[in-house]
Amino acid sequence: MTNTHLATQLRRHSMLLILLALYVLVAFTARGFMTIDNQLNILRNIAVPGMIAFGMALVIIVGEIDLSVGSMVAVSACLTAWVVEKASGDAFEPAWYFVALGIAVTLCFAGFVGWFNGMLRQRVGVPTFISSLAMMATLAGMANLITNGSAIEAFPSWYYIIGSGRFLGVPVPVYLLAVAFIFTFVLANFTTLGRSIYAVGGNMEAARLSGIDIWRTKKICMIIVALFAATGGIIYSSLINSGNPTIARGMELEVISAVIIGGVSLFGGRGSIWGAFVGVLFLGVLINAMTLWGFNPYAQQVVRGALILGAVFVNFYIDRK
Amino acid sequence: MSNLHFEGLTKHYGAVKALDQFTHKFESGQVHALIGKNGSGKSTFIKMLAGAILPTEGQMFLDDRKLEFQSPGEANSAGIVTVHQELSLVPGLSVAENIYLGRLPKRGLLVNWKQLYDDSRSLLAEIGAEMIDPRATTGELSIGRQQIVEIAKAMSLSPKILLLDEPTSALAHAEVGQLFALVDRLRTSGVTIIYISHRLAELPRIADTVTAIRDGTLIGSVAIDKASPKIILDMMFGELPPLQRPTRRIDKTVSALSVRDLELAPFFKGVSFDLHHGEVLGIAGMLGSGRTELLHTIFGARCADAGRIAVKGKTVSNPSIATMKAAGIGYASEDRKASGLVQSAASHANLCRVGQKRIAPSGWTNLALERPFVDKQVAGLHIKIGDPMAPVSSLSGGNQQKIVVGGLLNNEPDILLFDEPGRGVDVQAKRQIYEIIWDMAARGLACIVVSTELEDLTDCCDRVLVLHEGRLSAEFLNEDLDPKSLYAACMTGDDTGAAA
Repeated sequence: MTNTHLATQLRRHSMLLILLALYVLVAFTARGFMTIDNQLNILRNIAVPGMIAFGMALVIIVGEIDLSVGSMVAVSACLTAWVVEKASGDAFEPAWYFVALGIAVTLCFAGFVGWFNGMLRQRVGVPTFISSLAMMATLAGMANLITNGSAIEAFPSWYYIIGSGRFLGVPVPVYLLAVAFIFTFVLANFTTLGRSIYAVGGNMEAARLSGIDIWRTKKICMIIVALFAATGGIIYSSLINSGNPTIARGMELEVISAVIIGGVSLFGGRGSIWGAFVGVLFLGVLINAMTLWGFNPYAQQVVRGALILGAVFVNFYIDRK
Repeated sequence: MSNLHFEGLTKHYGAVKALDQFTHKFESGQVHALIGKNGSGKSTFIKMLAGAILPTEGQMFLDDRKLEFQSPGEANSAGIVTVHQELSLVPGLSVAENIYLGRLPKRGLLVNWKQLYDDSRSLLAEIGAEMIDPRATTGELSIGRQQIVEIAKAMSLSPKILLLDEPTSALAHAEVGQLFALVDRLRTSGVTIIYISHRLAELPRIADTVTAIRDGTLIGSVAIDKASPKIILDMMFGELPPLQRPTRRIDKTVSALSVRDLELAPFFKGVSFDLHHGEVLGIAGMLGSGRTELLHTIFGARCADAGRIAVKGKTVSNPSIATMKAAGIGYASEDRKASGLVQSAASHANLCRVGQKRIAPSGWTNLALERPFVDKQVAGLHIKIGDPMAPVSSLSGGNQQKIVVGGLLNNEPDILLFDEPGRGVDVQAKRQIYEIIWDMAARGLACIVVSTELEDLTDCCDRVLVLHEGRLSAEFLNEDLDPKSLYAACMTGDDTGAAA
């Protein structure tokens, strides 16, 4: 009895154990890994893909997908910069409320795109795999269109704080990551909406017959992931102090693979925000370790690809049980 | 010659004996009707003969050859071919391609289209279906013609034994005639046919013998000229035990639910009835009679074309699942897997899903808050679960059904709609579910039970309405309830003689 209990516990937390094993391995082999600075560095690096992964976890649990998050990051960075530039009339040091306006417009835009993806799914029955693929191309195009293909540098001097500032020694994006984690974790575990998300992803028809508004549930998830991607875009625009249309290219792959590595079922209905965090941290630690080990950056990409494939196999294997 | 012979054929699923010691001989060159209620073991028998499942014990012989199949392909090459109830044709391909699917004649690497069409044309002519063009797109043919293509496909394997699983269930009257002409022709050419049907009225027209299976046991086999409707029904249902249904006080002062002139094309029309507090009302009807659609409409999951629904005297103005739920209706789906439960989720989550708003009105929730609602239903309905957090898919059918009911009760409904509550659960679990329904009724809930298994309705209900071809055609009260007359009413016309 206790043995099988132990076995299920081990299987449930298998990814966490692998992550711990990786930590131990890297700690003993990579110089400078186990320093506070490096650990904070890892957390800062995973802040943007991490928060998007939490949103993506909700989207995948509810039985959909969003491939447009990478483009959303890029277009959000550009849109914020563009609004600030246009609104402030290209001032050298734009006032704070122009920045606030830029952020607000960007978030509204992202929310609308998320809602629109959900709407297409509901009214036309377009799978989100397709609609978000189209959205990926559209948003990337928009980012190039408003910036004319090059970076817009329009932010005031204090704007760097969002992406590179520190509070009590901890990078600001790490706080934002924590907020995103708490928000999605509470949503998934302590609200009836969270219960509905799992029900809709697990069995849409059963959820519908239970009186759950399945389309509203799906739309909310699509909106949340878009908002997190937009926030990520704002963080990046602050990090590089401009709106650049080429950032975050291919980030959807990184985010989705982290979510899958974290044990979220691609079939919907199963997975956790905590798992998504473990998946993101695993990828972050691995990338960090490979850099410290001095891996060829192209080889790193191959390793990551192989790893994602392995994780998908494990995921499918567990699903079939 | 192709005599089909069975010696002690048995199939166990765990402790359940789906088919037990089936010993029988089907004579060559005849049409043998195989009858039995749902869950009688009929389809288990067919699956073993078709090579889809392996027998636990016992043997099958074709003439003197012993049959042992590891796959349906092996059954085919032994000359046993099955035409399943659901069509298995690819609608986008031509008739000829469907007939020879996976076995297209080739010239080198390319398909030999001329030979394919010629072979198909002569095969169709052989079975008397010249009117079907082998080049036609299959999906554009009528269902009846598709059924004939399906049989042509089976005939292309030159079978000695042909299994027809409810071939007429989806056919219109004229198409049935065509099909029967084809079956007659096949019989003359020496094929042995095993014919499964729920339409008892058609048996005298088509069958030579009638063989009945009940509760996994062979009941008997009679020649068709000796098989009166009464004998057939007796073989199917057996001598019925007396009802043990408790008598209840039904409060007829107010109707819990009244349905007036409800219409949903093309399923049903002009449906009106009243349901009272404390009453268990059954709705009988064959597959495709519109039963499930009716329940769905009452529950707001489908939008009616016309008519109105009143709950406790108040007409529900815009019926939707949300408004009907709020009005106090709960619906237990006919298919626990597809729409009743979230199989990947825990029993806990499934017990809390429907009543979510009642359990956690603020929208904030947690396991501790939900726990009492889970415990209450687990104790109240005697649900056997080890760990409420384990996936509900690990439970038996009966316990899953109880989870469905428990989930509904957590929303404190006044009216419960049960769609096939006894499907896929064993006899004991079924009894327990009926006891739960009676218990609910005794507490003043109004219940509707829909079932294809008419015995279930006669066992469980105070009153049964018959839905036939989209209309309520008959009503049976307490004392008149017996499965045989109900069966006759569901079929109407042809079987009325059996009511006596």
